[in-house]
Amino acid sequence: MNESLERLKEEVAGRLSRSVSEAEVEQLRVEYLGRKGTVTGLLRGLKDVAPEERPQRGEELNRLRAFIEERIAGCLESLKAEKRSKALTEERVDITLPGSRRERGRVHPLTMVVDEIVDVFSAMGFEIARGPDIEDDYHNFEALNMPKDHPARDMQDTFFVAAERLLRTHTSPVQIHVMESRKPPLQIIVPGAVYRHDDDATHSPMFHQVEGFMVDRGIAFTDLKGVLTHVLRQIFSADARVRFRPSFFPFTEPSAEVDIGCVICDGKGALRDSHACRVCKGTGWLEILGSGMIDPEVFRFVGYDAEKFSGFAFGMGVERIAMLKYGVEDIRLFFQNDLRFLRQFPSF
Amino acid sequence: MKLTLNWLKEFVDLRDAPEKLAETLTMAGLEVESLAPARAPDGSEDWIFELAVTPNRGDCLGVIGIAREIAALKAGRMKAPARKPAVQKANANAPVKVEIQSPRACQRYSAQAVESIRLRPSPDWLRFRLEAAGIRAINNVVDITNYVMVETAQPLHAFDLERLDAKRIVVRQAKEIATFVTLDEVERRLAPEDLLICDGDVPVALAGVMGGRDSEVHQGTTAVLLESARFDPATVRRTAKRLGLHSEASHRFERGVDPEGTVAALERAVALLQEIAGGNTFGGIIDRYPRPPAPAAIAVRHARVSEIVGVDIKPAEIEKNLKALGCKVQATKAALKVTPPTYRGDLTREADLIEELARVHGYDKIPSTLPRALLSGKPDARLRADRGVRSYLVGEGLVEAIHLPFTSADINRRFPGLLAGEKPVAILNPLVQESAEMRLSLVPGLIEDLKVNLAQRAEGFAAFALNKVFYLDTKDEPAERYHLAALLYGRRGRRGLRAEEAPFGFLDAKGLVEGILDGRGGEWSWNAADPPAFLHPGRAARLAAGRAELGYVGEIHPDLAEELSLGRCLTFELDFGKLLQYLSPELAVRSLPRFPSVERDLAMVVDDAFPAQRIIDWIKDLRNVLIEKVEVFDQYRGASIPEGKKSLAFSISYRAQDRTLTDTEVQTVHQELVARLGEVFGAQLRG
Repeated sequence: MNESLERLKEEVAGRLSRSVSEAEVEQLRVEYLGRKGTVTGLLRGLKDVAPEERPQRGEELNRLRAFIEERIAGCLESLKAEKRSKALTEERVDITLPGSRRERGRVHPLTMVVDEIVDVFSAMGFEIARGPDIEDDYHNFEALNMPKDHPARDMQDTFFVAAERLLRTHTSPVQIHVMESRKPPLQIIVPGAVYRHDDDATHSPMFHQVEGFMVDRGIAFTDLKGVLTHVLRQIFSADARVRFRPSFFPFTEPSAEVDIGCVICDGKGALRDSHACRVCKGTGWLEILGSGMIDPEVFRFVGYDAEKFSGFAFGMGVERIAMLKYGVEDIRLFFQNDLRFLRQFPSF
Repeated sequence: MKLTLNWLKEFVDLRDAPEKLAETLTMAGLEVESLAPARAPDGSEDWIFELAVTPNRGDCLGVIGIAREIAALKAGRMKAPARKPAVQKANANAPVKVEIQSPRACQRYSAQAVESIRLRPSPDWLRFRLEAAGIRAINNVVDITNYVMVETAQPLHAFDLERLDAKRIVVRQAKEIATFVTLDEVERRLAPEDLLICDGDVPVALAGVMGGRDSEVHQGTTAVLLESARFDPATVRRTAKRLGLHSEASHRFERGVDPEGTVAALERAVALLQEIAGGNTFGGIIDRYPRPPAPAAIAVRHARVSEIVGVDIKPAEIEKNLKALGCKVQATKAALKVTPPTYRGDLTREADLIEELARVHGYDKIPSTLPRALLSGKPDARLRADRGVRSYLVGEGLVEAIHLPFTSADINRRFPGLLAGEKPVAILNPLVQESAEMRLSLVPGLIEDLKVNLAQRAEGFAAFALNKVFYLDTKDEPAERYHLAALLYGRRGRRGLRAEEAPFGFLDAKGLVEGILDGRGGEWSWNAADPPAFLHPGRAARLAAGRAELGYVGEIHPDLAEELSLGRCLTFELDFGKLLQYLSPELAVRSLPRFPSVERDLAMVVDDAFPAQRIIDWIKDLRNVLIEKVEVFDQYRGASIPEGKKSLAFSISYRAQDRTLTDTEVQTVHQELVARLGEVFGAQLRG
């Protein structure tokens, strides 16, 4: 290549390498390769070159043009990359800023607990049944083997709305409703509100129970133990200790109170500072549900043959389970609906 | 029931330490609620047990009953009873005659006169045990009756013998006797069926409940008549409950005392009176026992025991354990014939004895099994709907609230719920007057929550409740409905950097309801006429499906909000139970259109009160097959719009099922529509 072309090449390379914007590069492209550009002019001047020199001169000029085009493309590309990389730096967000969203609501913690209990039983094939909150004396007491003037009625102080109409004191009347209208086999759970004439830090005049029962041929006390042990281990923990001890309910016999190892002191009855555990009162056990084999008298009231069918029933307090699971100390918190309380639970 | 360990030891040799004994009792159904060391007055070590005795175990409301239970559980051995002098039957010297006029209410009445008594404080050991049992010491005579009651479970009563003028005890119903002054000096109104102990015609005690003022043991008492009776549990309970007089005695009578135990208790009391109060008996024991119950044998089948308990308890164990419980057992071919002891009035059926067998066998020794599967369970539609709507509202930022269903008459009057004129359910025995009725609406509960949260400086509030409301139906019977209600206040909560959210308005509340109905089929209509009185008359609507009223949405009336010191609140309340019936259960998806749609907008200036829905309804009524969708997308009042008018903007979507519409085609249809709208509504069309 002759010296002047060589110089031209260096000049272009130099100017391109110093250019800082796409516009500048475009200007150089026009200056050298545009219609009136230097290289275009040289190519146009080929016709004045001696014919024997023309091929070589032509080739040199073409190479020069290809060189310039290539440099321009490369230059544009690196300018673009530079620009993107600058933008990427500038567009960086502070990922420690909080996400932006509408505040989500919350399902009430008692609903969460009922849902959980219901799911455990549903997985075992139990169906849901419901009944009225305002009951008659017959379903709430009489048919559950609690005749008038029975001292067991003292265990359940009652709100009355009329002489024989009352706010159900337990979900057990639904047992009667279901058995009055259906035949065994039955495996039913009944979530619902119940009412007692009582009001303090551990008793609310309204609270929730999940009642359940199973009736078929050949259901025994061992089945009661098996089912309830399984259920409590689902609700609390797989290695929860469960104990059954005799108790009295007019509508079951044998009756059993079911305890789990205290979830606060881990069943030790004492805390690490060796003070007695307040939650289980130092016993290491928490009363969690009442249960028993359905009393033949109840079967008689609903017209079942107690020689043919047997079954068990149980009831558990939802608030009590929620208080133990979440460490809530005052039952009234559940009904004040203070957002500072409710928002402590997850949104799903 | 509280008692001390040393007292118990007078009757039973214990096998175990107190803690172990407590565990044994708890695991046998006599739950030990507390166990505390104590020091007796003579310096000896003692323990105080507190037992939760279930209502069926009246026999365990006495130290001896618990001792028997311990022996039956093989945790101790009963001591041989001290040899007692032969009972001296009433003789000619008996100072008092006894007549039972109501043998159904009083199965047995035993009495003994004691004279030469020196009334004074009880000795320390007796006071200690009594106070450990939770009973206040008064004087030796009264203390001895209480001591024997705690020991034997048989309540005793002491009358001042000199104050019994007629010397003729009559056990009868109150009937014409209307009032009686009890020893707490309160005049009690009697019911005709209350059981009275009378001295001749004069009442001296409410049987089993409380003695009378005028026959009470007092400072100058030197002779007493001790009463040891068996009263009918239901009779005592009715009287005690009606008069609100729950006592240690009535508690035991209500649970049934041993009809065979009255005399033994008297003898024990007499022995103590002699020892402590220097008394002498005279006239022998008067004992009226008109109809001693004939003990009935209960058949207990070995197979049935195994069937109910689920493990094979061997016949030998059955027999042994029943005998340990004090039953007489006679084996026959088919079953054991079992006669329970008279102090176990709760054992009347085979089921009762099966429970005893399971209990004594030990629940912890009974294995766990899982019953064979029943595969008949069905999913629950209500549960699904509840969970669905909860999850939707929670996603919209609402918090679920649960309330007590009690409210005041005043609140029910202001918030009468969905249907005006419904009568509330009143509670006959409310805890407080402010909660004397059952709620007709869920909204007041949410308003209470709002106030609680505003007091805690909450900036906005959005909550819902899904629960029952209560009313009297057309026959004045209590009835229930399942409602869904929400309350919105202030601005929607946001997380993250501060950004402006518009305050909640009517359309936000309506939008939440529309979200529930979205995609559910059904014919819904909103109606502004006749809104509930507690809502802003211009910002309220009722939702209906055909003629069925489903609920309302609206702004709380400004007057009411002001009264409650609240700002603007939006609410809705739906009859959720009924709504579910109107939601279409079936979904049918249309295939997607093959040809594109063309959108055209139009704006109309109409009177301020003109409802946008009228235009949409009118356009839909044209039933033009090319018009696929009409929506209102803007409402504008302001600069370019005359006073009293507003501009409504609609978007109309045109589409043909079989071809792509051309511009001219759409233009022709749209122009014609615009022209006719102008004619029909006299509206000025814009843009």
